[in-house]
Amino acid sequence: MEFLRRALNPWGENVPIGVSWDLIWAAVIIGAVFVVAHALLVPKKVGAGEIDESEAKGLPDRIQRHKPGARGFHWTMSVTMFVLLITAFFPVIGIQFPWVTIHWIAGVLLILTVLYHIYHVFAKQDIRNMWIGRRDMKEGALGLQAAMRRPVHRPRAAKYPVDQKMFHHAATILTLGAVVTGVLMMYRVDNFLLPQNTYMFSDATWGWVYVIHGVCGIGLIFLVIAHVYFAIRPEKRWMTWSMINGWITRERYLENHDPERWAVTEADGAGEMEGTAAGGGTGQPALSDKA
Amino acid sequence: MAVMRDMIPPFELYQPTEVEDAVRLMRQHGDRGWVLAGGLDTFDWFKDRIKRPEAVIDLAAVDAIRGISAGEDGGLRIGAMTSLTDVAESADVMDRYPLLAEAAGLVATPQIRNQGTLGGNIAQDTRCWYYRSGWPCYRAGGNVCYAATSRAMNREHCIMGASRCVAVNPSDTAPALVALDAEMVVASTSGERTYPAADFFIGPDIDIERMTVLKPGDLLTRIDLPAAWPNARWYFEKIRDRKSWDFSLMSVASSMRVEAGMIQDVRIVVNSVAPYPVRLGAVESAIRGRAPSEETGQMAGEIAVEGARTLRHNDYKVALMRNLVKRSIRDAA
Amino acid sequence: MAENVIGTDISPPDLRAKITGRARYAEDFRAEGMVFAKLLLSPMPHARVRSVDTSAAEAMEGVLGILRADELPVQSEGLREGALTDEPKYEGEPILAVAAVDETTAAAAVEAIRVDFEQLPFVLDPLESLREGGPDAHVGGNISAGRGELGSVKWPASVFEEAGADRLPMGEPATEWTLGDIDAGFDEADVVVEETIVHQSVTHHPMEPRSCMAYWQNGKLFLHGSTQSTERTRGGVARMAGVESEDVVFIGEYCGGGFGSKISGAPIMAVPAVLSRKIGRPVMLRITRYEENYIGRARAGFQGWAKMGFRADGRMTALDLYLVQDSGPFGASDLFTAGTVATASYQPENMRFRGAAILTNTPPRSAQRAPGGAQIVAMLEPLVDKAARELDVDRLEIRKINAPGHDGWLGPQQGQFTSAYVREALDLGGELFNWEEKRQLSGQRNGTKVTGVGMGLSPFTAGSAGRDGLLVIRPDGKLHVHQGIGNLGTHSIADTARPAADVLDLSWDQVEIVWGDTSKHLPFSTVQAGSQTTHAHTRANHAAGTAMLGLLQELAARELGGSPADYRVADGRVFRAGNRAAGMDFAEAARRAIAIGGKFSGGVVPEDLNDATKAAVAGLAGEGLIAAARDNYSRGGSVYTWVATFAQVELDVETGEVEIIDLASTTDCGTVMHPRSLAAQTNGGVFQGIGMAKGQRWVFDPKWGIPFTKRFYTARPPGILDVPLSPRFAAVNEPDPHTPVGAKGIGEPPVGAGEAAYVCAVADAMGGLCLCRTPLTADMILAELEGRPRPYGLLETHV
Ligand SMILES: Cc1cc2nc3c(=O)[nH]c(=O)nc-3n(C[C@H](O)[C@H](O)[C@H](O)COP(=O)(O)OP(=O)(O)OC[C@H]3O[C@@H](n4cnc5c(N)ncnc54)[C@H](O)[C@@H]3O)c2cc1C
Ligand code: HEM
Ligand code: SF4
Repeated sequence: MEFLRRALNPWGENVPIGVSWDLIWAAVIIGAVFVVAHALLVPKKVGAGEIDESEAKGLPDRIQRHKPGARGFHWTMSVTMFVLLITAFFPVIGIQFPWVTIHWIAGVLLILTVLYHIYHVFAKQDIRNMWIGRRDMKEGALGLQAAMRRPVHRPRAAKYPVDQKMFHHAATILTLGAVVTGVLMMYRVDNFLLPQNTYMFSDATWGWVYVIHGVCGIGLIFLVIAHVYFAIRPEKRWMTWSMINGWITRERYLENHDPERWAVTEADGAGEMEGTAAGGGTGQPALSDKA
Repeated sequence: MAVMRDMIPPFELYQPTEVEDAVRLMRQHGDRGWVLAGGLDTFDWFKDRIKRPEAVIDLAAVDAIRGISAGEDGGLRIGAMTSLTDVAESADVMDRYPLLAEAAGLVATPQIRNQGTLGGNIAQDTRCWYYRSGWPCYRAGGNVCYAATSRAMNREHCIMGASRCVAVNPSDTAPALVALDAEMVVASTSGERTYPAADFFIGPDIDIERMTVLKPGDLLTRIDLPAAWPNARWYFEKIRDRKSWDFSLMSVASSMRVEAGMIQDVRIVVNSVAPYPVRLGAVESAIRGRAPSEETGQMAGEIAVEGARTLRHNDYKVALMRNLVKRSIRDAA
Repeated sequence: MAENVIGTDISPPDLRAKITGRARYAEDFRAEGMVFAKLLLSPMPHARVRSVDTSAAEAMEGVLGILRADELPVQSEGLREGALTDEPKYEGEPILAVAAVDETTAAAAVEAIRVDFEQLPFVLDPLESLREGGPDAHVGGNISAGRGELGSVKWPASVFEEAGADRLPMGEPATEWTLGDIDAGFDEADVVVEETIVHQSVTHHPMEPRSCMAYWQNGKLFLHGSTQSTERTRGGVARMAGVESEDVVFIGEYCGGGFGSKISGAPIMAVPAVLSRKIGRPVMLRITRYEENYIGRARAGFQGWAKMGFRADGRMTALDLYLVQDSGPFGASDLFTAGTVATASYQPENMRFRGAAILTNTPPRSAQRAPGGAQIVAMLEPLVDKAARELDVDRLEIRKINAPGHDGWLGPQQGQFTSAYVREALDLGGELFNWEEKRQLSGQRNGTKVTGVGMGLSPFTAGSAGRDGLLVIRPDGKLHVHQGIGNLGTHSIADTARPAADVLDLSWDQVEIVWGDTSKHLPFSTVQAGSQTTHAHTRANHAAGTAMLGLLQELAARELGGSPADYRVADGRVFRAGNRAAGMDFAEAARRAIAIGGKFSGGVVPEDLNDATKAAVAGLAGEGLIAAARDNYSRGGSVYTWVATFAQVELDVETGEVEIIDLASTTDCGTVMHPRSLAAQTNGGVFQGIGMAKGQRWVFDPKWGIPFTKRFYTARPPGILDVPLSPRFAAVNEPDPHTPVGAKGIGEPPVGAGEAAYVCAVADAMGGLCLCRTPLTADMILAELEGRPRPYGLLETHV
């Protein structure tokens, strides 16, 4: 299998022109194999175990995990991401429609959301939440062993579990790769934002821009498959839910998060929601992992 | 790897006699196969070793798709392998669809018309010389349009319908067939499909590597012309740099039903302004009910060029299109 | 007098073979064991070969050998072109050649070769190269400094700024000459006109590409090729192959057109010649249309500026010209001719000529049918029209006022013409075309079409002297005319033999022409170029005919008694005056000449013959009655022919399309040798010129330096439907007094005339708007008419 598409440029020089589209299928297949293997091999419940009631003291029932802005970002981004993926890859696999304009407009939206996210993170959030430290690594190592059904006790996570952090970083790199190259590619297609400047780089350089864009795009196929899979996996659905309504229950918090590493204060309370019994149950009927 | 041109590399030649066999062979070879009609587009590609199919399926012996016969409802059926000369000189075509006869008769030269087929003529690839030089542009699967750059030589390229690729459709018969509301019949191993002429041609926004809906495995078998408008007026004009051996800089085809001095129904199509023949829907609706006069033509021309976007060297096409559309109404006979 | 000799239509001896397809051109020949070669062309407009990896190609079955540039006797260096090169100076320049058992294999082998190129800066537009810091076509220069040396010319930025985009920047010229006082000339003028003038470069596109086949036998090189000249090609081939002339047999009976691009062979002939020696097999190199586009030569283009001053009476008081020439990678001399030709049109009272011939990385230039002449005529004639309009002088009249008479002069040296019936030609043209009536049609509108009428007057050199004629009367009784000139399709191969028959009063069917193969003993000839042939070889064959007449008389006197002066020659007999029976026929004369030997059959030759002719006679000695003579007739000045062409066009103002309604041409080319052929030559040249103005193009992508017009259908030379079905023609038919036959050449002057007539007629249809440039295509015309932005800048070339 070739990884690059190459061509002879007008001067007969062999230059890359993009990534091999076979890799799309590779990404899909690897994604599928991963999902199937994971689903078959990894036990559904890899929880931290018992809840220590003493820790529950002073904690609100609902703990805010994602601020509305962050949730807004997440969903806008996922929509644009899906649009980008669909517009980029469906035509390649034979489902044809006028894709370029939708694609770059979605790309621009993605860039706007990313910019907003960056601003938000720096201004309103604690970027350390996403930092992968030694304890995260240990958490990850133990988590992996637990996943392999070894008799280890997986420690509780900080605000974001290490696998989520890793996903985030991979997604960040690939998205930034696609964004930066995508902006450059805007100089090649007709749009009202940037002037056409086909010969801005040498064609070999352009080739690499297309390769990076393609690699990032294809990488994102894999990440999105994995991400969606985890989002709907029963034991993770509470997290998915939290991306919708913003909060998690105190129980989930204590079960999965280490209060030392993610110190929750009163301010993090999501407040009482109407119609929900105070102090009662899980309060997450729709996406309950017990359902 | 050095580049070599003007020397056809070897290929496997198949000469089926039946549509079914042709279609089966086409399917079997997929995108490594090539359908050969008259060869006037084909051999250009082969000679330059740019398209290098491993198998060539020559349709010359498939008699079922050659010739002109009566269609349903008073129309006409023209087999895809009918030569352009036969189309241009057919009494039936000249009598009932003079627009098509005229268009076919203006292609290149007598020799090319004897050899070239109607099917090949509408299925032919663009003549963008960047692409034809074997440069790895979008249409060739690459990542750039060489013709749309600020210094590119793009006098022949398009003023509308572009999407990354700015090439034009070169066919003379295509606009005539769209103006006549023809239907293209396409066979493949999965059966027969029919496309209105206007949908048969596609733009680069949908598929930058093809000019028509035909995909590997698709055989264009015939072109069906619906019954002609009674007393229709028509107009065809082709502008070119020289009077033979030359593709159009622009062509216009119109077909018009005029009653009591007013346009009842009309179809106007311009080619070589876009990657596909452009049917001027907005113009058509604006001029229905008006007299086919200079003023109507002028108005039509103005509407036609709305939204045109020019490249470095093809601004003249805007004026030319405006004027040709005007003529296609004013001078239709 | 025998009939059908001079001034009548004949059917030339090669006609039947050409029409029936029996004529064999270079690529039709085969030799025992012959193999094929293919070229690897440079993909870059300027580069250096770093390394070549031929291993994969050499490993292929059927590959017999590879020829590299350094194996050639004539190597590419600086301004000298080699057949192959390691420093290509245009995209498409051949790098190496591969020989294989067949072309399919050779082509696949070429594809398997890896060449590592170092890309070098390149330039397509001479003006770019003239800028300080601008790219040069060669490493180390952009101009020929003479004697094969490179030089460099750069103009300061201020020169370009002052000029702006649409006016020629005029820095320090590389060439300059002045006649009279240019400022005084303009001071004297009542009307001064001035314009940016541009002429495109165009490829030659002969029908037959320069294919060639070579093999060696016993140390002799046999080469089949396509050239304009025959005897004069031999030396060129010998040099390319690194052998002596006598070791070369060149065969080229037919030539499918050259237009100046195949004057005496082509550099590429070295490839089969040397490759064949290297691999020990005959090698055929079939040049494809694609390759021909690169190595087939082109006309040099100009970017220029002209200013003319006229007195109220229409006389040109001053002509100021500045031309920047696009010389291609190895130079061209059109520039120098252009200034000279302008004098032959207008005889300006004062003139200044300035210019610079700049090298570019575009395919090589060479003479193309009126090199320099056609361009200058096409660029200046519309400007003369502009002045005529301002002066309110008729356009035909203003040309007559300025045209040279017999006392006219030529070029900076102000030499004499042998004859100049220019006003007669103009008057004849005016009548033929009906100028008086037609000019009334100017500007008339019919629907969307506007009529324009215009004319062009085009002079060009048309003769030379000092060549040899060689005649043999063989025992078959026929007169064998050995022709060293080539057969490029103009009929001159036959027509120049006519004076010999004429002198001998022999009917044409008794004449055999021997040509096309240097082993057939051919005399020293002109190169078949510069429209010299008709003039030079009617003279040479007249001289040889006269010598033959003398020999026949002498022979008869010797054999039959009396003195030579008592004998007459006619109808294939030499006989005593007044008694036809007392004599012998040519067959008898030949037999006796062989028997006697000595000067009658080539044993003794005139001392003044050129060496090549002496060798040819030696080769023929004893085969018949042999007469060889050198043309020692008076020269009497520069031999020039003038053609005037008149055109009526209709311009469609809605599309910019131009249709030529009527064309008429006249010429002063001295005595008419062959009326039908003369008309064909003239009309053909006129069409070729119209093609350059109307639609033929040579388009390059400026970013990559690669041309697109590599095929006929993209280059668009004119077709027969682009001109009227019955163009009209007439000749003044006044003999040139300095040549015994009176004939001058015709090959070149029509080109500029047709081109200028077309451009002027279009300008006329546009209300006198002067676009002194070619090509002048429909898009440019429409943009002007519609007041839309010009598709190209006025100085832009390769559009
Ligand atoms: C010098 C030159 C000038 C020309 N000028 C003009 C001109 O002025 N106007 C103009 O309209 N055309 C012009 N042409 C194009 C020519 O007229 C032919 O119509 C055209 O090239 C294709 O027709 P063909 O029968 O030769 O098909 P081919 O070259 O054999 O085929 C063309 C393409 O169509 C496909 N194809 C053909 N038939 C079928 C089928 N039945 N089903 C599916 N696919 C099919 C082939 O696979 C190929 O891709 C010119 C061509 C040349 C070489
Ligand atoms: C993050 C998700 C993205 C994915 C998966 C993605 C994927 C792709 C793919 C596969 C292509 C086809 C490339 C080729 O033909 O080689 C493409 C083209 C393109 N992308 Fe993206 N892309 C993404 C984001 C972006 C962004 C953020 C932009 C910029 C605003 C962008 C702009 C473009 C443009 C302009 C093209 C067309 C370029 C051309 O054809 O020359 N993309 N994208
Ligand atoms: S116009 Fe289309 S075919 Fe031509 S170079 Fe651009 S992408 Fe290629």
